[in-house]
Amino acid sequence: MEEVEKREEGRNDGMLEGGVEVRVLVVDDSPVDRRMVEVLLKKSGAMFQVTSVDSAKRAMEVLGLSEDKTKSPVVDDQKVDIILTDYCMPEMTGYDLLKAVKEQSCQKPIPVIVMSSENEPQRINRCRAIGAEDFIIKPLQTNDVLRLRSYARTGLPPPPPLSSSKAGTKRKMTIELMAESGGGGSERRRPRLTGLAMA
Amino acid sequence: MSLMALREQLNGLVNSMFLEGLLDDQFEQLQMLQDESSPGFIAELITLFCGDSERILAELTKLLDQAVVDYQKVDAFVHQLKGSSSSVGAQHVKLACVQFRQFCEEHNKEGCLCALNVVKHEYYLLRGKFDTMLQLEQRIQAYESKQQI
Repeated sequence: MEEVEKREEGRNDGMLEGGVEVRVLVVDDSPVDRRMVEVLLKKSGAMFQVTSVDSAKRAMEVLGLSEDKTKSPVVDDQKVDIILTDYCMPEMTGYDLLKAVKEQSCQKPIPVIVMSSENEPQRINRCRAIGAEDFIIKPLQTNDVLRLRSYARTGLPPPPPLSSSKAGTKRKMTIELMAESGGGGSERRRPRLTGLAMA
Repeated sequence: MSLMALREQLNGLVNSMFLEGLLDDQFEQLQMLQDESSPGFIAELITLFCGDSERILAELTKLLDQAVVDYQKVDAFVHQLKGSSSSVGAQHVKLACVQFRQFCEEHNKEGCLCALNVVKHEYYLLRGKFDTMLQLEQRIQAYESKQQI
């Protein structure tokens, strides 16, 4: 199961300075999550060129990295401005990919954002310790995607992460505790139009 | 059936799915992402979710049919299903997967088999309603296209 999808998403009114597209490499074995991220990037307003792959191994190929450590790795950093990778993937994990990218000796390694559905402080700290720029708890929201522009645009540290272990914990624990308490949400749901039939 | 009646039926269906807890806030997020520039987004995502889920359920059935169960593989698949159900807002399926993972952790085969049945039940219940939802959506779109001619 190997696929590389390239989509150009976005509108001109959100372009970066100089009108440069942000080239995002999305790495996720879930087709649902890959599509969600693509649409979120499209809706964010910035001009993103999105390449999606379904495995870390495929991402290595796109980046021009080799798993053979005897070969001197040369990252093809002309292709990608930022990597957004899932943590849990079969064979090669997002952590392994992160490590491989950060081990490159180029001056400005590609920013790597890690995504995970598990809000584990140990996992988050592990990724940050080897250079992950941020760690986002799934499912992704619009705010999470807006942050990507900050990392790719200036190369400067973005505002304090909303998806840090503290903030992420608070948001996700609230939702998950409510869900796991068996609440169907009916007490907080009011009837609404579906929005599905929108023209 | 008139266009208004179709819309009411669709709204009623989706609202009932929220009230029953089949769908959660995340589905609302998806609804907000659907607009003129991506009109078929929800249908596409539902289709991807259903295809992926059925693949995973088939794998889980095979794995749990083995004399010696590879719980690591089972857990990996359940984790995938939990993730995608969370992404589309399929709350009951997600919660069933949470329970399933606990049995995996305990290496409890009987528990896993029960949990698999629960996940299948929740998934196929949801799938039935998703099918109706998409059919109604298609009928509404066809009606609207006709009106524009």
